[in-house]
Amino acid sequence: MNAEQVSNIDTENTKQPTNTSTLTMDAYHIKAHFWGRLTIWAVIALTLFLPLYLSFGLGYHPGWTVILNALAAYAGVIAVVWVLEPVMYFPILGVSGTYISFLTGNIGNMCLPSAAAAQHAVGAEPGTKKGELTATLGIGAASLVNKVILIPIILAGSFVISNIPEHLEGIFPLILPAIFGAVLAQFAIKKPIYGVIALIIGLTINLTALPIYLKSLSCIVLTVFICLQLEKYKEKKQTQQ
Amino acid sequence: MQQSMEIANSSVMWVIASLVIGIVIFQSVKFIQLASKASIDVGMSKKEVRSALKTGAIAAIGPSIAIVIVAISLIAFLGNPLTLLRIGVIGSAPIESVGASFAAEASGASLGGEGYNEMVITAIVWTLCLGGMGWLLFTALFTKSLDNMEKKINKGKKGKQIMGVVATAAIVAAFGNLVSAELIRGLAPVVVAVVAATTMITATKLSERFQVSWLREWSLGLSILISLCFGYFFI
Repeated sequence: MNAEQVSNIDTENTKQPTNTSTLTMDAYHIKAHFWGRLTIWAVIALTLFLPLYLSFGLGYHPGWTVILNALAAYAGVIAVVWVLEPVMYFPILGVSGTYISFLTGNIGNMCLPSAAAAQHAVGAEPGTKKGELTATLGIGAASLVNKVILIPIILAGSFVISNIPEHLEGIFPLILPAIFGAVLAQFAIKKPIYGVIALIIGLTINLTALPIYLKSLSCIVLTVFICLQLEKYKEKKQTQQ
Repeated sequence: MQQSMEIANSSVMWVIASLVIGIVIFQSVKFIQLASKASIDVGMSKKEVRSALKTGAIAAIGPSIAIVIVAISLIAFLGNPLTLLRIGVIGSAPIESVGASFAAEASGASLGGEGYNEMVITAIVWTLCLGGMGWLLFTALFTKSLDNMEKKINKGKKGKQIMGVVATAAIVAAFGNLVSAELIRGLAPVVVAVVAATTMITATKLSERFQVSWLREWSLGLSILISLCFGYFFI
């Protein structure tokens, strides 16, 4: 009797979720924009305050010419990426995934693989609502793990690095090909033809002398274009039959 | 050099670095909460939410260790708090070291070398902070426009289908490009990438056939570990 009552209450609770415990996808996006912008603007303000304080609070201003020269050289390398990365990863990351990824950083080597792995585990397609939420959960967890590993090691700093056995150091450059190979395979299982197309284009592009940011962009644009044409062709064939 | 490191490790640096990292952690927690709440609306089970979190966390372990190891190389001339600040938010160790050396060069000094004083450190802080801000400004200003654009395309059934193809093709292309850049560097990366891909395919097929979800969650971690063991013999 008691047990029955409890189970009744349980089913009632799950059937009628209160307004505070659930969010519709639209309400979710509104909240995601609000918190995403708030946190990013806060970080912008703090990272502006720091150099201003060093320059004018402590009086170590190096002069605007020096700053502008350095910034111009630096921007020459990364300015294109400021715009390209958020735009080209948006279909994969969605609203909330974009806010988290571009605040926490390490998009290609950490956020994308984590989002992909999470979607893979749950069986969610990228570009769908479920895919976006899954990516957000995966990247959120990844960002937290990243900080948990980062903070103590940076605090312990140079002590750690001097104690890593030398013969193991040679492995570090191989971590990236390991991640990238595995994630490519993970997606190529579902659409092997996409994988083949991407790999052929990727290898060709990487043998040219294009700058890094253009390599990624042209590979994405070309692959997406060819895959769209391919799907169109398949559809045409189906309707003809 | 000594004076500049005193500034680099001063309490102001620590306070700002801690605050920024605090905001990043807060944001991750907030978005996990929001996404968990919204998950019911798209028909995700609690188990799926947990699985997504667990998988994302496991997948981040390998990359995080790799990131941290490169980051440690920055501590020698940026100090601990500034390194934490620059690596903890958008940016990566190789790019930050490029920016730092540009700033030192513009000040007429070299990183950690002669004439590396407080003003050089200040110039570096300016360059790295403004440099990293590019992504933040674009994301803060234009994510909403990107969202509206996508929603417009997504309205029709046809649009949804196209967006699905675009998203899948884009992620495959992103990794096709990333892996290609590694492949052309030599034999060891090729061996590692191929072993990692094979492990991933095997793990996925096995987990599908025998319905073991933990194998899916660990598939990226396993692929990295096994392929690195093979790679060890090729360096």
